[in-house]
Amino acid sequence: MSGFVRFWEILGAKLPVFLPYLLKGALVTVKITGATLIVAGLLGLVLALMQRTRAWLIGRLASAYIEIMRSVPVLTTLFVIYFGLASVGIQLPSFVAAVIGLGMLGAAYMAEIIRAGIEAVHQGQREAALSIGMTPAQAMRFIVLPQALRVIVPPTANYTIGLLKDTAIVSTVAAPELLFAAKTLVSQTILPMQVYLLTAGIYLAMSWPLARMAHHLETRLSRGV
Amino acid sequence: MEGLFSAYGDSLRLWLPPLMRAARVTLNVAVLSIAVGATVGLLVALLKMSRRRLLRRPAEVYIEVTRGTPALAQLYIVYFGLAGIGLTLDNVTAAVVALGFNAAAYMAEIYRAGIESVHSGQREAALSLGMTPLQALRFIVLPQAWRVVLPPGANLGIAVLKDTSLASAIATPELMSRAYDLVGQTWRPMPIYLVVAVMYMAMCLPLGQLVRRLERSVKRSDAPAAKTPGSAGWGQRVSAA
Repeated sequence: MSGFVRFWEILGAKLPVFLPYLLKGALVTVKITGATLIVAGLLGLVLALMQRTRAWLIGRLASAYIEIMRSVPVLTTLFVIYFGLASVGIQLPSFVAAVIGLGMLGAAYMAEIIRAGIEAVHQGQREAALSIGMTPAQAMRFIVLPQALRVIVPPTANYTIGLLKDTAIVSTVAAPELLFAAKTLVSQTILPMQVYLLTAGIYLAMSWPLARMAHHLETRLSRGV
Repeated sequence: MEGLFSAYGDSLRLWLPPLMRAARVTLNVAVLSIAVGATVGLLVALLKMSRRRLLRRPAEVYIEVTRGTPALAQLYIVYFGLAGIGLTLDNVTAAVVALGFNAAAYMAEIYRAGIESVHSGQREAALSLGMTPLQALRFIVLPQAWRVVLPPGANLGIAVLKDTSLASAIATPELMSRAYDLVGQTWRPMPIYLVVAVMYMAMCLPLGQLVRRLERSVKRSDAPAAKTPGSAGWGQRVSAA
């Protein structure tokens, strides 16, 4: 029992040192998450549109990409990009490698989310847009996508939470994010349990509000669909 | 591409046997983790559906905390953290415990959705026949919940299989960590990690196809429509091919 008390005493005493250090890492985690979200969203949109074209080969290519990315662990993808590319002469900074690695997998998820959103918009909307003289690209941009958005947003919020947690994986390529900061602290202090529990708490503090928001969006936007 | 692989043809013959052995460890860790996840998950689901607050609350907290933190951080807590306070687990056990208890949180929500999809009249009828609540669950509710549980459960299994790669961070001798060692010896990261990617694909793609067939056959039968379990919040973990 005294060990238990001692455990929390140590954590309490070290907190003023640990917390700022870890929060700096958490900031990088947020940055990686944000940058990845943008990459995944844009690349996902391209993939979703590729899947919807009538050109058979282009659609197949997009589908194959999605299947492959989804059946390979993100850690493997990350190592191919970080260590693999470095060995053939393309040395990426760990932050960039992290965003590309997570973004490539994220694009596969986002493509499915966006495709479902586009398919949820009634076909007549697009036809009406075309019949008043819009080009297919205009119809997509001004008519279909704005309506698809309400279907796209809730699962995207969900994906963001998954992504936030997945960024922990990039600590393996030494991107200076939260878990990497924690590992550094552990090697300096040899207090793994205290540091990792605190780290888990910080992750929870970030993902919890996001989860609330996702839940809120889901109930709100599903009204009247 | 051709050049890349013909140049490494001889090396490939050297790398494949150890990688194949490591893939067996990957499969073992995955199967054990799934078993732990399925068992603990059912228990947590039942606790969460309990009418007693004292049982329900801990289950809820467990699910929320587990789903709100990265699996890799959980792995570190189980392996390094527990060792730091005097409980040393070997790296295979730690991987199974961490990944299993992680999967249990997701599995619990899948079970709950399945059990809730069974009409409550079924349970009431079973109870009125004189079955105990446990018997009603075992013989009446669970068999019917099964087909709602199975497709997302299998999807989760694939996600666990991919997540075993995280165990390389605690040097569990599975596929990814064996690849890391090989790269250290040979300095050929590109071909080795690509081969490993293909090996993961070879494991996950057929499973994904199987799950999709499962999903279709469940949809065709008169199984009650499942609410997507835990779709609100915490990020989807279901990630089949």
